[in-house]
Amino acid sequence: MSPSELTEDMLSAYLDGELTDSERAAVDAQLATSGEWREVLSEVEATRALVRGLPVREAPTGFWDAILDPNIAAPIPIESARRRRANRALRWTAGVAAAAAIAAVVLVPGRSESKPPVASLVATHAARSSMSQEPISQLATVASGRTLR
Amino acid sequence: MTADGVPTWEEVAREHGRFLYNVAFRLTGEDEDALDLVQESLLRVRRGLETYQPGSLEGWLARIVTNVFLDEVRRKRRRPTQALPDNPDLVVPPSAGADEVARASGLSDEIQAALAALPDEFRVPVVMCDVADRSYEDIAATLGVPIGTVRSRLHRGRRMLRKVLVESGAVG
Repeated sequence: MSPSELTEDMLSAYLDGELTDSERAAVDAQLATSGEWREVLSEVEATRALVRGLPVREAPTGFWDAILDPNIAAPIPIESARRRRANRALRWTAGVAAAAAIAAVVLVPGRSESKPPVASLVATHAARSSMSQEPISQLATVASGRTLR
Repeated sequence: MTADGVPTWEEVAREHGRFLYNVAFRLTGEDEDALDLVQESLLRVRRGLETYQPGSLEGWLARIVTNVFLDEVRRKRRRPTQALPDNPDLVVPPSAGADEVARASGLSDEIQAALAALPDEFRVPVVMCDVADRSYEDIAATLGVPIGTVRSRLHRGRRMLRKVLVESGAVG
């Protein structure tokens, strides 16, 4: 095998024992002379080891019991599982929306349509203030536009 | 076990379910999706056992779960993947050393996240090779691609994985 036939992806195959004898010899020769290839090999080897060292992911508790339970029609097709979950989510969402609507009607106080008598309140306040000799309030105008003394 | 040495689907689930679930989780990255994948795979196992020829059961299971996963990917195209550069050489830093094997269990979330960030076409060969321990020939047959394509995707997948892990600070 000539050096021109060497490709970098042979390094993964080298680690996985997936090269022919001649390919392996060619990669060994390349590694002996190329620091760049040795560096790539080292990185790929470390990454490969990380994935291979991952712990086995266990299914959630009860999953296999449910699958193997003769009283349950298991396993179920992937689409049925999705639909079942989607329907459950839909029911939950609808329930929450209904509860929110009821809460809005029952608990949130209605918006008052009454208008506060601003003019008379200002006039009253100004009149009281003037009686207490408060200098700022003495300047307050009332609805009629006159200044109270 | 039937008279001709073929296991029942319940035996497959009981004795190889852990393997099946682990591969499903590494392919999907989500417990919920892995559960769906395992159930669909077991349905295919149940149908396929009629014609199953005793051999590497886990190889057969790995092919089934991968095909179910790929069918789902093709059908829904639901999983957006992170675009990665074509040439990982440009971003890969110096090696972090061989002690990473011992760190794997402590980094499993980060490694899983990096795995999930790979485009499907690169993640599948990595999972089949490094999680399900399948040969290139087996992976090529499952994916319907030449062995050279498996070799190339697997290598690029590992380089991309390295890049994601370095960028996330999981490895130096």
